Amino acid sequence: MIEVRHLSHSFGPHWALKDCSFQLQKGEFLFLSGPSGAGKTTLLRLLFAGIPVQRGEVRVAGFALNQIKDSAVPLLRRQVSVVFQDFKILPDRSVYDNVILPLQVRGLGRVHSDRRVRAVVRALGLDSRIHLLCGELSGGEQQRVAVARAFVVNPKVLLADEPTGNLDADLSFRLMDLFKQFQAYGTTMIVATHSQELVKRHPEAKIIRLEDGKITGANWPGAMLDNGLAGAPLNGFNTGDGYASGTRSLSLSRQANIRATMRQMGPDGAVERKTTGDDKK
Amino acid sequence: MIRTFFRLVGQGFMGLCINPWAQILTLSAVVLVSFLVGLFLMAITTLDYQLSVVSGETSFQVYWRTGQNQVEIDEQWEDIKHLPGFLLSRTYTPEEALKEMENRLGHTATPRNFAFLSENNPLPATALLTFSPGVREYETWLKETSQYLWNLPGVERVTVTPLRDELGQAWRTVNTYVMRPAIFFLTLLLGLVVGNTVRLAFLGKSYEIEILQMVGAFNWYIRLPLLVCGAVQGLAGSSLALVILRFIHIQIRDVLNFPPLLMEIQFLTPEMTALMLAVPTGMGILGGWVGVKRV
Ligand SMILES: Nc1ncnc2c1ncn2[C@@H]1O[C@H](COP(=O)(O)OP(=O)(O)OP(=O)(O)O)[C@@H](O)[C@H]1O
Ligand SMILES: [Mg+2]
Repeated sequence: MIEVRHLSHSFGPHWALKDCSFQLQKGEFLFLSGPSGAGKTTLLRLLFAGIPVQRGEVRVAGFALNQIKDSAVPLLRRQVSVVFQDFKILPDRSVYDNVILPLQVRGLGRVHSDRRVRAVVRALGLDSRIHLLCGELSGGEQQRVAVARAFVVNPKVLLADEPTGNLDADLSFRLMDLFKQFQAYGTTMIVATHSQELVKRHPEAKIIRLEDGKITGANWPGAMLDNGLAGAPLNGFNTGDGYASGTRSLSLSRQANIRATMRQMGPDGAVERKTTGDDKK
Repeated sequence: MIRTFFRLVGQGFMGLCINPWAQILTLSAVVLVSFLVGLFLMAITTLDYQLSVVSGETSFQVYWRTGQNQVEIDEQWEDIKHLPGFLLSRTYTPEEALKEMENRLGHTATPRNFAFLSENNPLPATALLTFSPGVREYETWLKETSQYLWNLPGVERVTVTPLRDELGQAWRTVNTYVMRPAIFFLTLLLGLVVGNTVRLAFLGKSYEIEILQMVGAFNWYIRLPLLVCGAVQGLAGSSLALVILRFIHIQIRDVLNFPPLLMEIQFLTPEMTALMLAVPTGMGILGGWVGVKRV
């Protein structure tokens, strides 16, 4: 689903990413950790064609981003939802209007989108705010609007940049639970975060540590090999034996919970999903 | 698809209401520029018109062959009166010509009688035709009219005394070196100012455009509302300017129309009016187009 090989990126003389490689299969969950300025945002931007690939190879949801045409970028972005560090929501529109935007862009009428929008908004605990303007919301609420907008389309890939940055511990854990629910639904996710606590709570997730543009740690053998890392386990992180069993390790009650949410959101067919190329990556 | 299309077009119109002050300022700028350009165009149209109607006169002397049927010639004379630019004619049947000659020569020292010629009159029928064609398309007119006269059955010879051509020359100079470049540059100015104004008006939308691009909107989806909005502003602005111009024209049409100026101020020609509407509309659309950066 996501394949990154020897990816480097420079802004002028400064190399923000240096020779990074890793692969993710459908439905896998990856934490991208690392200090400020490590290149997390840069990596995510490369993955949704926000900036062009300079060196190395990137494949996302069947699109080869090295040679993607401008006209294909919207198609890629229909598969890849992004939660931005600075949210990128419209402050002068209501929560509802912000969340429905990706569905409108896909040409879905209000009748079809309404149920999904409301279900996602409810899942994020924003039902009481649904008709408020986003500019009037708190930072954490705005962040959840951004998350709702990303999930409303059932993306194949979700890229989230510090999605818990403005949330208290309890809310961030709940948000991560929601992420896990979507993971179970088959969405491949990359979450960039500073929070070690959050990472520790999810032993089943894959983890990559970025420092100064280089991958300096990973908790699974493939990424370690690809980036020429020694066999030592990732310092301070779970070595994650359970990473691959992502969905299977979920408790039964949680699985029931997921099914309930999905049912509320309506059938998958309610959202146009263009399958372009191989998604068996 | 169709529904999305109409929704986007609707959004384009709605865009005018969402931020009314900014839109009013843009619209005012469009009106102002269109108005000024229109005023200039009106001035040069008037100048052009004045120069083009100054009536130089062109005269033709037409000689028929002798012994032609006078009834036919009379008919031809009648037809000639309907030629474009026709002003007046003096025609002479052979008899009249003879009489005229007698009269002229009769005043000389020895009176003469040409009655002996009347049986076998050697004089042809002739016509002295005066035209006032105006200088517009003068060359073509001259050619066509000469041709027509030459081709009349029974005509033997046509001589032309063309218009004093300085006027025509002046008009052509003005037309080539003032009129056309002025129209060109004014139109260019109009287009650039309107296009840029509209483009700038959309800068405030760049954040929204960026978000639309992030959630997978195609280019046309993002651009359509902007194009509609730009077109509406261009069209509304220039229409308003034309209405104001027309109103002013009605007020001042005759202020210079007194001797010796006798100058009636002209409104824009239909072509110019179309240009005044089309250019801002087109450039409004273009402004909406270039207002969107590529992804
Ligand atoms: N557009 C840009 N122009 C120049 N330099 C940039 C640009 N974007 C990022 N950088 C630089 O690249 C490096 C990595 O930036 P990036 O935003 O990817 O870090 P980050 O890991 O997301 O940090 P944070 O956790 O603070 O968000 C930084 O040194 C930054 O200054
Ligand atoms: Mg960042």
